Amino acid sequence: MATDPIAQLGYLYQNPMSEALQASASGVPLVGITSNTVPWELIASAGMYPVMLRSDDCATSFADEFMEPQIFLPRIRSIFDQILSGRWPLRAVIIPRTSEQEYKLFLYVREVSRQYPEKHLPPVYLYDLPHSRSQDSRAYGLKVTFALKAQLEAIGGISIGADEIAASIVESNAARSAVRSLVALRRGKPRIDGCLALSLIGPFWSIPRKNYTELAWEAAAKLQAQATLNRPRILVKGVSMDQSTLHGVLESCGALVVSEDDWWGEGSAGQDISTAGDPVAACFEKYYSDSPGPRTFPASVADSWFEDRSRDGIDGVVFYLPQEDYVFGWDYPRQKNFLDALGIPNLLIRDDPRQLKTPELSRVQSWLEQLPKVVQS
Amino acid sequence: MSEKQLASTVQASAHQKEWFSQLRRDVFEKQMPYAIVQADMPFELFQAMGIPTVSNQWWAALISAKRLAPQCFDELNARGFHHGLCHYCSLPLACTLAGSSVEAPWGGLPKPALISARLTCDCIQRVFEIWAHALGTQFIPIENPGATELPPCWWELSRHQWEKLFEARRLDLTVDQFHVLIAALERIAGRRFELDALRQLMESVNRQEEYFDQARQLICSAPKAPVRMTEQITNVMAAQWLRGTEWAVEHAKRFRDEIRNRVEAGIAACPQEKLRLMWVGAGLWHDTDFYTSFEPTYGAVFVWSMYLAFGPDGYIRYGLSDPLRALASRVVSMNEQLHNPPWANEWIVDQAEKHRINGAIVLMPSGTPSAVSGTLFIERALEKAHIPVMTIEADVVDSRHWDGQLMRKKVAKFIEERLC
Ligand code: SF4
Ligand code: SF4
Repeated sequence: MATDPIAQLGYLYQNPMSEALQASASGVPLVGITSNTVPWELIASAGMYPVMLRSDDCATSFADEFMEPQIFLPRIRSIFDQILSGRWPLRAVIIPRTSEQEYKLFLYVREVSRQYPEKHLPPVYLYDLPHSRSQDSRAYGLKVTFALKAQLEAIGGISIGADEIAASIVESNAARSAVRSLVALRRGKPRIDGCLALSLIGPFWSIPRKNYTELAWEAAAKLQAQATLNRPRILVKGVSMDQSTLHGVLESCGALVVSEDDWWGEGSAGQDISTAGDPVAACFEKYYSDSPGPRTFPASVADSWFEDRSRDGIDGVVFYLPQEDYVFGWDYPRQKNFLDALGIPNLLIRDDPRQLKTPELSRVQSWLEQLPKVVQS
Repeated sequence: MSEKQLASTVQASAHQKEWFSQLRRDVFEKQMPYAIVQADMPFELFQAMGIPTVSNQWWAALISAKRLAPQCFDELNARGFHHGLCHYCSLPLACTLAGSSVEAPWGGLPKPALISARLTCDCIQRVFEIWAHALGTQFIPIENPGATELPPCWWELSRHQWEKLFEARRLDLTVDQFHVLIAALERIAGRRFELDALRQLMESVNRQEEYFDQARQLICSAPKAPVRMTEQITNVMAAQWLRGTEWAVEHAKRFRDEIRNRVEAGIAACPQEKLRLMWVGAGLWHDTDFYTSFEPTYGAVFVWSMYLAFGPDGYIRYGLSDPLRALASRVVSMNEQLHNPPWANEWIVDQAEKHRINGAIVLMPSGTPSAVSGTLFIERALEKAHIPVMTIEADVVDSRHWDGQLMRKKVAKFIEERLC
């Protein structure tokens, strides 16, 4: 691997399992996770390696066999295939109740395991974290977070001490702070484009946070000296994307993607986890209150970050609602009205960015051409 | 549905219509509060508080049966909601948003005192929040904890061993959420909730479902089905929405008795019955005649849908010392039981075998992506049990893309090729 931190992070973004496989080869158990709401800190403090399962372009023959067509997002289909194919040496997979699709993913994998024991699939566990804001949900979420800790102790065959969790929180917070330093390069007068930003932030989810912190700070320091970029600043909103394809399309048409309301980009790190009080409770608090997801309720809570960010140096918003979407489309008219009222131009893309046809590309292009070219603030 | 063979079907339809006009009178003239809720909600709490409820799915079926869905969805799409959004639970919202441009059934729904839904699919919190805003009412969401233990043969455990089957932590949360709902109902009704009243109601629900269980047994064992699937649905659903009430229990008994009389008299719904079909999925509300179309040529009769069968297996709860908890156990897993592996596939195979099913038509609901889940597991399990399956794609409420003739031809072909 290259020594340049930017190139190294870029490599790790393209090869998200590379470090995990090395760790596994040296005897560290891998635990697959499927969303931003599984406490990394608890898994790490159990001496295991938490690794985010990301979609890839491999064929999805198992998903074709067991998952109904056009229902599951490509990311979920890909993860299903990665688990069923035994491609990775996973000790376990933790799936949060962060979307209905993930709950079904949990039930489907479990069922294939039950029907085909000879496949020896890794055990899957549901982290049943609710996302509506209420006292009951909060109490329940806290309870299941403690249960997750017990589950991890059983998986790892060790008991996890409060000090170990506290140490993981410190390690993780340092990485969050490094992510924020990268995010800062996209604020105000941006110095990095969206594709680069995603590739620098993405490894936050797949490599040990200590390593990530070092690389990300070095990268941020280097990029600080870059010239500012004067292109229309775009925020991407809608279905979460773990690939940079849409950013690539928009940027090749002249945009500068500076933000995404999504846990793969600007929303990855969020705020630090509190180091005061019980560390398990602190982890719960972080994942319950400060992690974007499709089930956050009510809408006023779910929209608040988006509304603040849209008012803060954004020239246009692109909504990405692919054909498989049947969730975020309910939010779209409300969020569009909000932008229209502020006079913020916005555009809806429904096609797969990997296969955009010429008329759709021209539509994107001409929309971008109407936006201000020079950053004002 | 054209022909009604059972007197109880006529009574069920009439009662439902009368109940709804009464509701409108109560609400408009006497300003009595009522609620709109999802089908998997604890209706019993509303019943115990004397607050009438309208099921969202029932209302959707009614709008659909009046063939108003296309207009409603056009209006929804015109407001910026895209075409790919799920149609099932959102049709009534679409009807509300359409306002006066659509003439809603029976003069339309008056403003409810509250609307409530369990947070199953990710979309429902959105649909109900938008709807509450449009109706100017409050929305009470009920969290929907996930299942992690799913032992085999849930229907053999659910009546007596529900505490263990449905996992204590899920029941705890659901009961906590019920208390929030009850507090709102108390405010609306202006009176206190009584646990004893709920217990009595739950006992009545058990009795009602026992009658349905007996009706189901009769359908399983009679040489030919005494009642068509469509008539089963009308009778069962009219009673399920009002479950536990005197009328509902009496109606279930009437239905059971009428079936028993028919069986004893050797009356079959379709005397030329040769093949028994099952319908897996929500009902095709905009073309219910579809279900009887294969009788004349093939003697193929639809005898099973989830609607009758789910009552006894899904609702009966014995051991009512804590009726709230028993009620929580009734609603907490409906989605797993009906739509997800392993419970849905196992149950449907068991039902197919008990009903001597020759072939299954499995709905792949095109306009309701979320309700599609589990379909491939169901299909696979039925075929493994030697029950041929045909999957058909259709939108249960929106007739815009439904080609009834073509679908009839396809099913006919399936019958000829795989069942005859
Ligand atoms: S049948 Fe399924 S989709 Fe319909 S109300 Fe019941 S659980 Fe919901
Ligand atoms: S069935 Fe469809 S409309 Fe109903 S809650 Fe699920 S996704 Fe939403």
